[in-house]
This record gives sequence, C-alpha cells and structure tokens, in this order.
Amino acid sequence: MASRRSTRHDGDQGVRFSRTLFIALLVVSGALIAFDRPASRSAPFASFRAGFTDVSAPLLDLVAQPLRAIKNIGPYWRRQGELAQENARLRQQLIEARYWEDLAYRQRDRIEVYEDALDVESAAIEDRIGAWTVADPRGPFVRARLIGRGSEAGIRDGYPVINLYGLVGRVYETGRRSARVLLLTDLNSRVPVMADRSNARAILVGDNSEFPRLDYVGRAPDIEPGDRIVSSGDDGILPRGLPVGEAVATRDGGWRVRLYSDQAPVDFVWVWPFRRVTPPDQEVEAEIPATEGPLIADQLVIEPAADSSGEASSLGEDADQGAGNGAGDDVAASDGTATEDNR
Amino acid sequence: MRKPTDRNSPWLAATGCIASVLVALIIQASPTRLVDGLTIMPTWTLMAIFLWANVRPHFMPPIAVFAIGLTQDLLTGAPMGVWALAYLVSISVFRFRGEDGMPRDLPPVLLRFGATLLLAHGIAFAAGSFALEQMADLQPLVIEIVASILMFPLPAYLVLRRRRSRGSGFIGG
Repeated sequence: MASRRSTRHDGDQGVRFSRTLFIALLVVSGALIAFDRPASRSAPFASFRAGFTDVSAPLLDLVAQPLRAIKNIGPYWRRQGELAQENARLRQQLIEARYWEDLAYRQRDRIEVYEDALDVESAAIEDRIGAWTVADPRGPFVRARLIGRGSEAGIRDGYPVINLYGLVGRVYETGRRSARVLLLTDLNSRVPVMADRSNARAILVGDNSEFPRLDYVGRAPDIEPGDRIVSSGDDGILPRGLPVGEAVATRDGGWRVRLYSDQAPVDFVWVWPFRRVTPPDQEVEAEIPATEGPLIADQLVIEPAADSSGEASSLGEDADQGAGNGAGDDVAASDGTATEDNR
Repeated sequence: MRKPTDRNSPWLAATGCIASVLVALIIQASPTRLVDGLTIMPTWTLMAIFLWANVRPHFMPPIAVFAIGLTQDLLTGAPMGVWALAYLVSISVFRFRGEDGMPRDLPPVLLRFGATLLLAHGIAFAAGSFALEQMADLQPLVIEIVASILMFPLPAYLVLRRRRSRGSGFIGG
C-alpha cells in the first residue's frame, strides 16, 4: 500500500505546528471568547465587529443577489395549482382591508384632534428604511441576519425590524453600511408582547426554535389558541401593536407563538426608526436634576418662611413635581411587582 | 523555468487555497434560507481547512487556521474566538502527520475528517455555551455534523482523484 501513499519530496514532510505560536493562539482565542460575550460586550469589540461587517457586507451582498433571483422558484412551482384559490382569497382580504384603511384614516384624524387638545407631541412617524438581507448564517450560537444598510441610512441599535407580515427582530449591532438584526427566535431575544384580544401581557422569549415561547403569562392567562400576539411596547424600545404572530398552545400547558414573519423568507426588511414617546412624568424628571427634588422639599420643611411667597410657591411646585415623580416611581414599582406576581 | 500560469506553480495552488477558503466562508454566511427548501448548511470551511492542511500543510499554518475561524465568527455573528479555537485544536490534533501525509484512500480520510468534525463541534459547543452563559443550541450543530459527513466524500474524492492523477500532489503539487 506504500505505493498508494503520497510521495511528497517538496518539503511538506515534517511540517509541524509551532508550539509557541499554537499556545499563543489558544490563549488569544480563549481571551476573545471571554471578552466578547454578547451579554457584556465592550464598545471596542462591538465597533470592531461592526467595522468588519461593513467591509464584508458588499461582498456578501454580491453573493446574495443570485440567490435572491432564484428564491421564488420553489414556491412558484409548488403553488401553481393554488393560485386561483389564493387570488380569490386575496380579493376578499382586499375588500376587508379597504374597510380597515378607512377606519385607520378616521382614527388618525381623531388622534390628531386629541393631541392638539392635550398639547401632546407624539413621536414623528418617520419613513421606514428598506434593506436587503446580505447574510443569513444558521449558526448554533446566534440567530441573526446581516442587512446591507447601517448608520449612514439612519439605522440605530434597538430599532425594530419588520417584513411584509410582521416583526422580525431588532437591530443590535450597527455599522456604517451594515447592521445585524437579532431575530425573535434567538436565545437572547426578549420582547414584551400582549394578546390583541385580551391585552394579556407576556414576554416573548427566543429559544432557537421556530416557535418562540411566551413566558410570564400568569397562572390563568387570558390567551386562547389563535390569538393575535402583538408587541406591547412596555419596554419603550419597541412600539406598541407590531404584529408578532399567533398564540399556539403546547402539550405541557405552555404557550408559544407562530411568527407571522415566517410566512415569507426574511429577505427584504424594513427598519423602523422608532423613537419612544417620553411620558410626561419622565419629561419633568429629565428637566430637574435627580438630587434637587428632595433637597428643595427638605428646605421647605426646615425653613418654611425663609423666602418670599413667590419663591416658596415655585418651590412648592417643584416639591409637588418631586412627589409626582415619587408616585410615578411607585407606579413603576407596582407594575414590576405585578409582573413578578403574574409569573 | 516555470511560468506563473503553469498548473504546477505553487502560486496556482496558493490561489486555489485562498479562493476555496474564501468561497467556503462566504457560502457559510450566505442567505441560503432565501432559497426554498435549502436550510441545511455543512461546515464547508472545516472541509477546506482539513483538506488543505493535509494536502498542502504549508498553506495552512496555525495562524491561517486561527484567522479563518475568526473570520467565520465575525461573519456569522458568533462570539469571537469560538470557531477559531475549535478549528485550531481539532486540526492540530487530527491532521495527518509524517512523511506520507494524507493517504490516497478515501476511508481513512473520511474517518479522520469525522473525528476532526466531532472535536471541532464539541469545542465550539462548549466555548459557545461559555460565551453565551447558557447552553448553546445543539440541534444546528448536529445538523451541521450530519450534513458535513454526507457532503465531505465528494470534495475528498475529487481531491484524492486529482492527487492520484498528478502523482505527487494536489493542484500545483
């Protein structure tokens, strides 16, 4: 069998891994793993990763283009027989959608009237930013997509990402010309959601399965199979009402969600530049330094008649606002408690 | 004197090595799920590293293996160092050594690749779980292993066939 073996005489024999270099690389690998944990990733690591994806995104986009061209071949051939039926169904949906469109316009006008009356400035609805998926690694460690637009297009970390059918995930790593989107199915994904029918709150927890889990639903949740699950906006990061999926009961009594966004490949997506509406109590909190409220209140108690009435009045207002803030904190705390109780 | 375009030129072999690794990395990260029904992705990168590390060890020193693994980490969004460590250790443990290098029969090559694959994915699973601070998903790793074992005989056969036909080595060998 020796004749069937390689007869290398060009210096390949005796090639060995340098022990020093090998150990050094092992140490570097270990250090990278220790310091590049997603939960505690430092800014230099994040910016390095974003810079790398910026460089690689054009190349990946080039490769993705022919794949996009053939993406519909499978569904096209498979669905030829269903087209007539689907067409009829779509026409029916269009009729229903026109009713909802009218309703939406009426609601928008009403909201504008209310906002004018209350002098409330809601977040401006900015144009969504369209982007193509340029990389879709199916790794065991992260469920994420790389999209071909970044901070130059106005994308920032935390912005929700949607496709034609519903919420896909949110941006978590933004480069100048690329951004990485954490999918709802990823292990690290946590999104507050609610049932559209009953407003029953829950947290959508990704576990790398196709059907993310609903946690913190309480002992007797008001959720039924098929309920439409939408984002609740409780975290202030995602807007309220983004369609997420349908509730599905599991055999062990738990709940999972069949994602709307899975109805089509996550190919072209929109990034929504969502800015949270600051609640009025937090606006006041932002204007007054945190330490001033209690100090002024103390002064009022200790030196009630020290200043003129006008100044006392203004201090009194501040004190009220401070108390208001405290009340707001209590409300927030009670909310948190309620969430824990639900669990 | 060899021409630069000569098929026996080491430059051609080096170009082939770089191109194959690059293509493997890009395919690994490409959005193949866009194509209906194609969701299983073998570890093309490890296949390329394994074959080149055994056919042309000079082209695949530890620093190159490390760099390829790190690039894969960055492209796929995995924590940095996971695949770099996995490839580095598994290739250094299971590559063919000695004067004979890689055998020209398929079965021992398949066996050695299978061992490399298992070790690499075992290390990646442990390192990834450590980085994520929770157990990584085992299912995609198992799918990758199975898909790689099913796909590897084809490139291995082509490489071995070429080595046999050329007498002394792989492209440019």
